[in-house]
Amino acid sequence: MSFSRIRLVSYRNLEDAEINTAADRVFLIGENGQGKTNLLEALYYLSFGGSFRGQVDAQIPANGVKGFGLKGYWKNNSILEDEIEISVQNSVKDIRLNGKPVRDRKELVGHNPSVVFCHEDFSFAAGEPELRRFFFDQCAGMISLDYIDILRAYRRVLKQRNAALKESAYDLLEVLDPQFVRYGQELMAIREIIFARFQKQFPQLYEHVSQLGKPVELEYRPNWPQGAGFEEILQFVESKRDIEIIQGTTRSGPHRDRWNFVSGGESFTDTASTGQLRLVSLVLRVVEAIVYAETVEAQTGTRQWPVLLLDDVLLELDVGKRRRFLELLPGEREGAQAFFTFLPGEPWTEYASGDTLVYRVNHGRFEG
Amino acid sequence: MKALEDLVTLFTRLPGIGRKSALRMTYYLLKADPRFAQSLAEQIAGLQDQIKFCSVCGSYTESDPCPVCSGLDRDRRILCVVEQPQDVITIEASREYRGLYHVLGGLLSPLDGIGPDKLRIASLIQRIRKSRNESVPIQEVVLATNPTVEGDTTALYIRKVLEQEGVAVTRLATGIPVGGDLEYADRLTLARSFRGRMPL
Repeated sequence: MSFSRIRLVSYRNLEDAEINTAADRVFLIGENGQGKTNLLEALYYLSFGGSFRGQVDAQIPANGVKGFGLKGYWKNNSILEDEIEISVQNSVKDIRLNGKPVRDRKELVGHNPSVVFCHEDFSFAAGEPELRRFFFDQCAGMISLDYIDILRAYRRVLKQRNAALKESAYDLLEVLDPQFVRYGQELMAIREIIFARFQKQFPQLYEHVSQLGKPVELEYRPNWPQGAGFEEILQFVESKRDIEIIQGTTRSGPHRDRWNFVSGGESFTDTASTGQLRLVSLVLRVVEAIVYAETVEAQTGTRQWPVLLLDDVLLELDVGKRRRFLELLPGEREGAQAFFTFLPGEPWTEYASGDTLVYRVNHGRFEG
Repeated sequence: MKALEDLVTLFTRLPGIGRKSALRMTYYLLKADPRFAQSLAEQIAGLQDQIKFCSVCGSYTESDPCPVCSGLDRDRRILCVVEQPQDVITIEASREYRGLYHVLGGLLSPLDGIGPDKLRIASLIQRIRKSRNESVPIQEVVLATNPTVEGDTTALYIRKVLEQEGVAVTRLATGIPVGGDLEYADRLTLARSFRGRMPL
């Protein structure tokens, strides 16, 4: 999918305008703080109804304004364009897809998704296990809309379970646990699928760019016994009861699953350099895009790429790695749209092709 | 205009009513037949005096026990357990069910501090035991709580406490809505539908 144009109203420092984006590659060139990343954020917002910077709706409206508006258009498979319109006024969000209200943001996921490559992704490779779980949950949500529902239900039971432990309502654990295990098993099943699909791609793509010479692999370590049935997991959960009562919190479950990167039997996260970890996060995003494209192809017969939003990612790679990293991205013939941000001194002309739109970004204004 | 503003503020406290709707209602009343406004005011004022909880099932009623609990045409072998009094009205509107009701007054939610003692679960057990001395004892309890985490937790809890009471415990079926489309069903609904599949 690709955005053909986008309209902005009171969005951060960006000037109110309609911007033509009908190209395979759109380059945004400007100094820091001019609004390049804000445009990527706006595109991401149109894909998912929220920012990749977290819960920041209140910070988005331009100075002195109480709300903001976004409109995005993209070509669908017919001759018509799809239109997504989002307005946030006084903290009330209204999302409309082709004029019809969207009640739940998850309804947007399958329409025109995007994958953002940004500096914060580094935490998926180097940060706490929770952040890696967040990344893979995000990926699972993109390939399986039901995953979002199951995750919400699981988290709800987990909260109720923790409250029961804190309030010493132990008789309720007996009735909460079967639900806890059932939703947890469903999460594990989808995570296993995600793991298999990432593991198929990640080691070779990482090696292609890094040329490290030894494979870096992904490892999924569920907290509950792998391959165990419902009853066995229920018993496992119950076996933790005594320590849970003492600590007042749930001690097992998919919310404690681990995703690791390993090389030569050791944790790669602990031994890798900052640059190597940075590359892990970039390759993870490429695999996310590939897995999404393959999923759509399996469902519809047509490979459909998410829009790629690359925020200053080439800056931190040396020349060879830059070239090899760009080789991983879907080619223009595959119909994938990519937005890149560059500082003025970068050799962006080397990456341009026949169908590239170039904008100079200055104080929130886009000049083509 | 303080009177007008005060009424608007009161209307906005009602569920689903925003300031715009409250203003429209207030202006409508201002122009309406005074007898309508008077009648509306009297009905609102008398509502809480006239409508009480049934001492048997816990549903809303004007007479105690309620018409369902005292009805001679009801099937006294079957008891439907619901979360709130409004659920009784919803099920009654279907005209499909002719048994009795028991209103819990909420759902189990440790997060909100609602444990079994805050719900009408003890009175449910008492009611089942008492019915054994009547000509038609309760034989089946239908759990009609919502298919949410809290609704399921409450249903599972009640099933557990009724284990020794000698009654059949059933749960309302969940799944694809009548006239619905498989294509649009979410996975959780589909999964429940498969678990609850029935022989044709």
